[in-house]
Amino acid sequence: MKDLLKKKEKAFPYLMCLPALLLFTLFITLPFINGLWISFHRWDGFSPMKWIGLKNYRFVLTDEIFWKAISNTFIYAFFVTLIKNIIGLGLAIILAKKIRFRTAFRTAVYMPVTFSYVVVGILWVWILNPNFGLLNHFLRALGLDFLIRGWLSEPRYALASVIGVDIWKWIGFHMVLYLAGIQAIPKQLYEAAEIDGASAWQRFCHVTIPQLNSTIIVNVLLSITGAFVANYDIVKMMTDGGPFHSTEVSLTYIVSTAFRYSSVGKANAMSMILFLLVLVFGLLQLKIMTREDVYE
Amino acid sequence: MRKGVKTTITYIAWYLILIFFFILCVEPVVWMVFGSFKDRAEFYANIWGPPKVYHFENYVKAWNNAGLGRKILNSIFVTFFALLISIPVNSCAAYVLARMRFKYAKLIYFYLLTGIMIPSGIMAIPTFSVALRINLVNSLFGLVLIFAAQSIAMGMFIMRSFFISLPKGLEEAALIDGCTRFKCFTHIILPLTKPGIMTQVIFSGLTIWNEYLLSSIMIRSENLQTIPLGLASFVGKYTVNYPELFAALVIVTVPVIIIYILAQKSFIEGLSAGAIKG
Repeated sequence: MKDLLKKKEKAFPYLMCLPALLLFTLFITLPFINGLWISFHRWDGFSPMKWIGLKNYRFVLTDEIFWKAISNTFIYAFFVTLIKNIIGLGLAIILAKKIRFRTAFRTAVYMPVTFSYVVVGILWVWILNPNFGLLNHFLRALGLDFLIRGWLSEPRYALASVIGVDIWKWIGFHMVLYLAGIQAIPKQLYEAAEIDGASAWQRFCHVTIPQLNSTIIVNVLLSITGAFVANYDIVKMMTDGGPFHSTEVSLTYIVSTAFRYSSVGKANAMSMILFLLVLVFGLLQLKIMTREDVYE
Repeated sequence: MRKGVKTTITYIAWYLILIFFFILCVEPVVWMVFGSFKDRAEFYANIWGPPKVYHFENYVKAWNNAGLGRKILNSIFVTFFALLISIPVNSCAAYVLARMRFKYAKLIYFYLLTGIMIPSGIMAIPTFSVALRINLVNSLFGLVLIFAAQSIAMGMFIMRSFFISLPKGLEEAALIDGCTRFKCFTHIILPLTKPGIMTQVIFSGLTIWNEYLLSSIMIRSENLQTIPLGLASFVGKYTVNYPELFAALVIVTVPVIIIYILAQKSFIEGLSAGAIKG
């Protein structure tokens, strides 16, 4: 009887973990492994699969549009990360001062964070519409006619426009994280710097930036991974990868490979390549998240 | 004196920057609401002004033509049940991983955490490939299970750090009195976890509510569409009636905006939760 009780006690933590492990294994781990398996096959999603070894990977790596999509993804990630963080940090620094209407401002700028990309996409496609859009109309009203563009229809500007909209959606999110980081910096550091005669710029470089170190890392990581693996919706809604693949990113190309070209095997191979590309950022994020973990 | 002038100028510059970003974020929403009340002719002619005549019938038409009622119900169904499965499941795991020492604790913890490293965008095609084989394509129940599984990693992480922050003494007294671990968990700890659950409801709830990529490849029939799918197919349909489309956008975004403004603090905290730990 006592043995049974002890056994029960020993099994308890495992039983508590069991549902999570089951669900996770069934719908994350197994699909992932299965995806890896499928990536070695030719498969259209319906007929029987045919083993073709590494051929899918060879197809993918010699596919010009795939490289175009990858290079667009990198450009996208670079600019989105850079600009989101500069604007987010800049606004946070201003908001950290004695500013009136701070709450109203934060509420407004954070609002797009809660919108779905679908809503954001539909809205901005129309704002950027060459003839009836708010942006060109606004430029015309200001007499800036020479700036008027077909923002989404000209290949040269389409990617930049989508990047701009992505930034617009997330500024508030990064601003709030930076604001929290700035407010956690001890006031004495600034006082000491001021006594030493440091200028505002010097205080920014030698107090704010080093103190925000980990906040910056988190923000940069979040924007990078977001740009690599969460931009499908917005690109799909705004340009669907066009014109002429000028806004094609990895995810849009993966999905059209699976459905438009019925190459589910190839699409899985691309997913695996994309996974390898973001793996290093994922590992970094995991490391930062678990850095303070207590495991005695 | 000079210093005073300089500070005034900097303050003015700051406010100008803030006003610029304020307008940048609010104007599209205001413009969406204006647009939703115009008729088609005015929509193209009067681009940024408020509507001259308010056409409330746009809303009725949008609601009926887009089948919004059905889509809202579908979204509520998927989000509600995904959370209903995910939160208890990840809380149980998080509790023992936070509070008990057992042999494979660390292994289980890191295994579940790898979910954070495998973003849902990458999982879309592999998940769809499995769903094809086990007949979960075109089923809301399939979406529920997948979304529940995808929110386990982050949910477990949030709950675990929350449980760790609770004082250990809480259960110790009860344990000595002969209370079982499970009873401790359900009677003493769970009632205290409201903030952690709230964080998850907002973080995972909003992610699921807005999800588009996976739903768009999994759901085929129109009557199973969630809100983002419904809006997206509205755009793809024949010639788009823009005032109607805008009315549909208002119907689905304004409730979210209202909830967000009312529960702003929880919203911002909840959405930052995954990041703030760093």
